[in-house]
Amino acid sequence: MNLLESLLTGLDEARRHWGQTVLSLLGLVLGTGSIVTVLALFGGQTAITEQFLSEVGGRGTIIVYDRESSARPRARELASKRLTFRDAQYLRDRATTLTAVSPGWSEELPYRAGDVSFDGEVVGTVPDYMVINDITPMIGRYLSDLDVRHQARVAVLGWKYADSLFGRAGDALGQIVSLGGKSYTVVGVLEREEFYFAAWEDNALEYRNERAYIPISTAIAQHSATDRLDFLTLKARPSAGGAAAQAQVKSLLYARHGVEDFDIRMSGQGAGDDSGQFLLLFNFIFLVVGIVSLVTGGIVIANILLASVVERVREFGTRMALGATAGAIFAQVLAEVLVVTIMGGLLGLGLGAALTGVVAHFMQMPAVVSPFIATVSLTTALTVGLVAGLFPALRASRLAPVEALRYA
Amino acid sequence: MLIEARGLAKTYRLGQVDVQALRGVDVDVGAGEYIAITGPSGSGKSTLMHILGCLDTPSTGSYRLDGEDVGSLSGKRLAHVRNRKVGFVFQTFNLMPRLTVEENVALPLKYRGGVPRGERRARALALLERLGLGDRIGHRPDELSGGERQRVAIARALVGTPAILMADEPTGNLDSRAGAEVLATFAELHAAGHTIVLVTHDPGVAGRAQRVIQMSDGRVV
Ligand SMILES: Nc1ncnc2c1ncn2[C@@H]1O[C@H](COP(=O)(O)OP(=O)(O)OP(=O)(O)O)[C@@H](O)[C@H]1O
Ligand SMILES: [Mg+2]
Repeated sequence: MNLLESLLTGLDEARRHWGQTVLSLLGLVLGTGSIVTVLALFGGQTAITEQFLSEVGGRGTIIVYDRESSARPRARELASKRLTFRDAQYLRDRATTLTAVSPGWSEELPYRAGDVSFDGEVVGTVPDYMVINDITPMIGRYLSDLDVRHQARVAVLGWKYADSLFGRAGDALGQIVSLGGKSYTVVGVLEREEFYFAAWEDNALEYRNERAYIPISTAIAQHSATDRLDFLTLKARPSAGGAAAQAQVKSLLYARHGVEDFDIRMSGQGAGDDSGQFLLLFNFIFLVVGIVSLVTGGIVIANILLASVVERVREFGTRMALGATAGAIFAQVLAEVLVVTIMGGLLGLGLGAALTGVVAHFMQMPAVVSPFIATVSLTTALTVGLVAGLFPALRASRLAPVEALRYA
Repeated sequence: MLIEARGLAKTYRLGQVDVQALRGVDVDVGAGEYIAITGPSGSGKSTLMHILGCLDTPSTGSYRLDGEDVGSLSGKRLAHVRNRKVGFVFQTFNLMPRLTVEENVALPLKYRGGVPRGERRARALALLERLGLGDRIGHRPDELSGGERQRVAIARALVGTPAILMADEPTGNLDSRAGAEVLATFAELHAAGHTIVLVTHDPGVAGRAQRVIQMSDGRVV
């Protein structure tokens, strides 16, 4: 009997005990299905994070925060001037990996216009900030270099605050708003920004609608006793890459401060963390189910279908008595396993695609089973099958005919 | 001589104890003989039969089958000998439950290789006709009576035109009528020139053979 015929015998056997075959497929189908779903959801999540990043100014935006001072600061920490306007200038001069540096100041201040008043965030910054963060005015303009140089009392309002203060966002232009008791002329209103990581999530960009931007020079002169900054927004040179820029900024600032009294973060890091956490749990469950199912599936295949079933071993014994060589038995068993695995993998792929569709529909998130995912999951299923099948195939083919015939 | 076995011994090791299933057996079988091996249970009949059928190897002793020294053959060559020289019939029939009668009978030719499908079929059909099973070719084994199953198994054993037909208790699982049918088949085959060795502990069955080899406690007596 040649290899082809042994393989055909294996195929035939898989076809003939169909019920058993389908049963032994179950684990494999579930396993493959779960893995497909995990990969698809994970892919969707990655895609949506990528989309969010491009929405907030793209990759390569780095933010340096002033760190809360420790409860009992040491001498070194006390000696540091902390994050200042000068750091911004210093980075602009020295950090070769950066294309833009924007100092920032931020404070919770009372807003008032007419009889509307509330507390909200006021951000002092420079024109570069708009470029780095991809901010677009809906009407009017953003802050200018001139505003910064002359400590102008001008403000650019986020969409929501403009709307709350003046009834309609579009009506805010040219009006006077009081921020922290000082009057500012509204020179621009920003576009409304929205981004949802998942259907059940809040607008991830709402904080941008609830803000006013004023020149950093004005902010420090009018509302601050010191020249300390709250953050620096930096843009990495694309050729340098975010990680390299982050490292350079860290070492430069450390050299100046003599202590690490700042935190550095990539923009979008932690973006969508809440929905991400939920998804992570979700993916984790699916992944565990997937792996457990695959392993179980493999064991089931190795067991039920093959050499530990008495009836099957005796059958191999009979085949040997009729003249089957060890190689023929091996090929038959392996062929059976492969057929079963390929079918299980394909069914699992179908199940995974269906499951992905259902999950994506109910959670309103993007998730697709790409050719890559299909390839990965089928390869996984096939590997499990091969590993599971190799052992029983070897065992069956190594039996002496009498042993196999007497097997009980 | 078709079979020349000298000093066959087989020892099984069961934990600390050695079980001597065969203690030095000489067997000669000439072409065209019809031989029955009998003896009480545990006397080593099956053990001897398995060695003669190349399903097992002796611990010591020499065995020539159809002029070939079987003791020195590799596993692959032994499979070859089983396929070409020996037709083995089991007490429990050992048919493939999912194959049809015809597919079962043709199986040894499949393992032989190089026999075209049409010829495999034709040879299986011819044998089944000859054994009175021509109307059963498409059936599965579980649709047949015990006697019919054993005759299918005999057809399967014969399809490769072996030098010798061996059967271990071929009537052991059959009622007397079906047993008689099977014995009649053996008688016909013997008359047609086939060499037959069968194992039985039924004196009635042994009595149909030309020659009886009586075994006791691993020896021929
Ligand atoms: N695989 C084995 N392992 C250990 N002992 C064995 C094995 N096979 C057979 N024996 C022992 O060898 C002896 C001969 O066994 P064998 O099967 O040849 O007897 P038998 O004459 O065919 O008996 P029966 O008429 O019951 O079929 C017995 O004592 C048996 O227990
Ligand atoms: Mg016996």
